[in-house]
Amino acid sequence: MSTPITENVYLPKTTVLERVVCEIPEVKTFYWRFQDPAEQKMFQRFRPGQFAQVSLFGVGEFPTSLPPSPTENETFFTVRQVGSCTSALHRLNPGDQFAVRGPYGNGFPMEEYQGKNLVFVAGGIGLIPLRSCIVCALQNRQRYQRIQIFHGAKTPKELMYVPNLQEWEQTPGVECHLTVDRAADGWKGNVGVVGSLFKKPGVQVPVDNTIAFVCGPPVMFRFVIKDLLGMGFQERNIVSTLERYMKCGVGKCGHCCIGVAYVCVEGPVFTYEQIKKLGEDI
Amino acid sequence: MKARILARANVLKIVDLLCQQGYEVVAPFCGRGRDTYFDTVTEHNRDQVQIHLPNPYYPPKRFVFPHIERLLKLQRDNGEIHIEPTYEEPKRAIFGIRSCDIAGIYHLDRFYLGRDFRDVYYENHRKNLFLVNVACTDPSQDISDDCFCVCTDTGPAARDHFDLQLMDLGDEFMAVAGTPVGETLFTDPIFKKATEAHVARRHAILDETRKHFKTMTSWFSATVRYVSQGEILDKTWEEIGNRCLECGGCTYVCPACTCFTVSDRQIGANEFERVRVWDACALSGFTRMAGGFNPRRAVHDRRNRRFFRKLAHHFIQRELSMACVGCGRCVAVCHGDIGMPTVVEMIRRATTEVDQ
Repeated sequence: MSTPITENVYLPKTTVLERVVCEIPEVKTFYWRFQDPAEQKMFQRFRPGQFAQVSLFGVGEFPTSLPPSPTENETFFTVRQVGSCTSALHRLNPGDQFAVRGPYGNGFPMEEYQGKNLVFVAGGIGLIPLRSCIVCALQNRQRYQRIQIFHGAKTPKELMYVPNLQEWEQTPGVECHLTVDRAADGWKGNVGVVGSLFKKPGVQVPVDNTIAFVCGPPVMFRFVIKDLLGMGFQERNIVSTLERYMKCGVGKCGHCCIGVAYVCVEGPVFTYEQIKKLGEDI
Repeated sequence: MKARILARANVLKIVDLLCQQGYEVVAPFCGRGRDTYFDTVTEHNRDQVQIHLPNPYYPPKRFVFPHIERLLKLQRDNGEIHIEPTYEEPKRAIFGIRSCDIAGIYHLDRFYLGRDFRDVYYENHRKNLFLVNVACTDPSQDISDDCFCVCTDTGPAARDHFDLQLMDLGDEFMAVAGTPVGETLFTDPIFKKATEAHVARRHAILDETRKHFKTMTSWFSATVRYVSQGEILDKTWEEIGNRCLECGGCTYVCPACTCFTVSDRQIGANEFERVRVWDACALSGFTRMAGGFNPRRAVHDRRNRRFFRKLAHHFIQRELSMACVGCGRCVAVCHGDIGMPTVVEMIRRATTEVDQ
C-alpha cells in the first residue's frame, strides 16, 4: 500500500490549437496537438468511435467524440457551440492552449465488421461520431463489402464535412447519398428526411450481412430505426453511439449510467438491441 | 479471531495509542439535542469522545471520499496552461465507526479500487486509514428505529473490513483485530487475554441486541430479484417518485453513494481549482446535457435509477457488496418517507397485489 501513486486518470494534458475550420453555423472543427509528442503518440492509438474529455481554462471539462480516424495523422474535434465549455472552445484562436484527456469508451469493433456491408445513416451533426468509422473503413476498403453513406441536413448549408462528402461521392465503391429538408442555393439533390433516401430509385440498401450505423437527433433516430427494422434489419445489426452528460469518462461519476451500463466505459457505441434493453430515451 | 479484553476505563487509551503513532484520530461526539458528529480528537475534547451514541447523519465516508475535494490546480501564465494534481495523504484513524459505515467504506473500496481501476485520490485517503469499529450493543443509544443492518447483513457487529473492533461487554470491552496492523496494538499492556467466557458473553450480547431492531425488511432479497429482472411496474416507481421532493438528502447521507460532479472554481487571478463534489441522482440536472436534452426527465425515472443502482444484482456482483448498508440514514432524512425500507415495502405490496 505504500508505493507512490503516479497514475491519475483525471489529469488532462495540455494541447495547442493549430487551426479552426468552420463547418456549418455554430459548428467548427478544431485541429490540435498535445504539447508533449509522447502524449500525442499515445493518444493516437485511439479507436474509431471513442471520445475525449476537453478542459477549457477557467470554465470546465466536456466530453466530445473523436471524428478523426486513427489512420489519419491528425487529432481534431468537431464541436457545436451549445454550453459554457463548448462556447469557450469556440472563442479560442490558433496558438491558444487547452487540455485533453482520453481516449475513452469502447469504440466501434471494426474487426467484427470485416466482410460485411456497411450502411451509415447520419442526420446533421450525427456525422461527427460516424466520420471516424467511415474514414477508417475506407482506408481499409478491401476488408468490407458495400459501403453506403446517407447524410441529411436541414439545408444545403448545414451538410457536414463537405470536402469529405465530395471526396466520398467520387470514391469508387462508395455510394454517398445526400438530402436536405429545405432546398436552397440551387440545390439539385434530394429533398426530404434522410429515410426518404432509402426509397429513392436506384438506391438499394443491402439488408443481409449488413451493419447499419445510425446517428442523429432523437426524432431522426426513431424514424430511421423504424425504416431499418421495416426493411428487415435485425436489432443487433443496427449500431449507434450515445451521448450523455459525463464528468469523469472512466465509469465513476455516475452521470452517464443507464441501466447496468456506464456509457463512458461500456459505450458510447451500442447496438440497437443493447440500447433497447438499457431502457432510456435516446 | 484474535481477541483481547480491556478494562472499560482503558478504552480511550486506544485513541491515545493511535495519536502517539501519529494518526489524526477522528471520533464521534455529541452535539446539541440528538446531533452527533465525527471530529478530530484533541487534548481538549478527548474525554468527550462517545462510545455509545446515535450514529452521526453526516457519514464518515467523507474521510475517504470528501464532500468537496480538490483534484487539480490550473494556472495560466502568458497563455501557457499549467495543470498540477494536488494530493492529500493523511494518516488518519476513525475511532468508533459503526459496522454499517465499515460496510460502506468496503463498498467504496470495491468501487474506487476494485477490479483494474484505481482512483488515486481515494487511494491516498484510504491507504493509511485505520478503522476502529465499535459494535452497536446499546439499544438506547446505538440503535434507532430506522436501523436495518440485520437485513443487509452488515451489523450490528461487522465481521471484517475493520482494523480493530470493540465490543462493550459491561465492565470490560472485547477487542478483535481484523488486520495485522490492528493486531500490533495488542502489544500494549492494556490488552489482556480473552477467555471462553468472554466469547460466550459476546454471543449472548449480540443475540440480545438483534432483538431490538424494529425495521425488519425480510423482503430485501425478493426486492433485489424483482429489481434486477426489471419486473417492478412503472406504476410502482411513479408511486415512489411522487413522494420524492428531489432534495438529494438520501444521497448526501448515504455511506455507499459514489456519484460526484466536477467543477472548476477560481482561487486566484489566473488560478483555478478543479474540485469533485458529491452529486445526487435525485436532482433533475444530474443527466441534463448542454443542449437541454435530459434522458431522465420524470422524477420516478430518477428514483428508479437510485434503487436500481443500489439493488440490481449486476452491481452487487460487480462490487461484491450491495450499495445499501442498512444504516437507516435515508429513512431519517427523507421528507417523503421513501427511505430504503419503505421502498422495499412498497415494492412488496405492489408485487403481492399483482399476484392476487
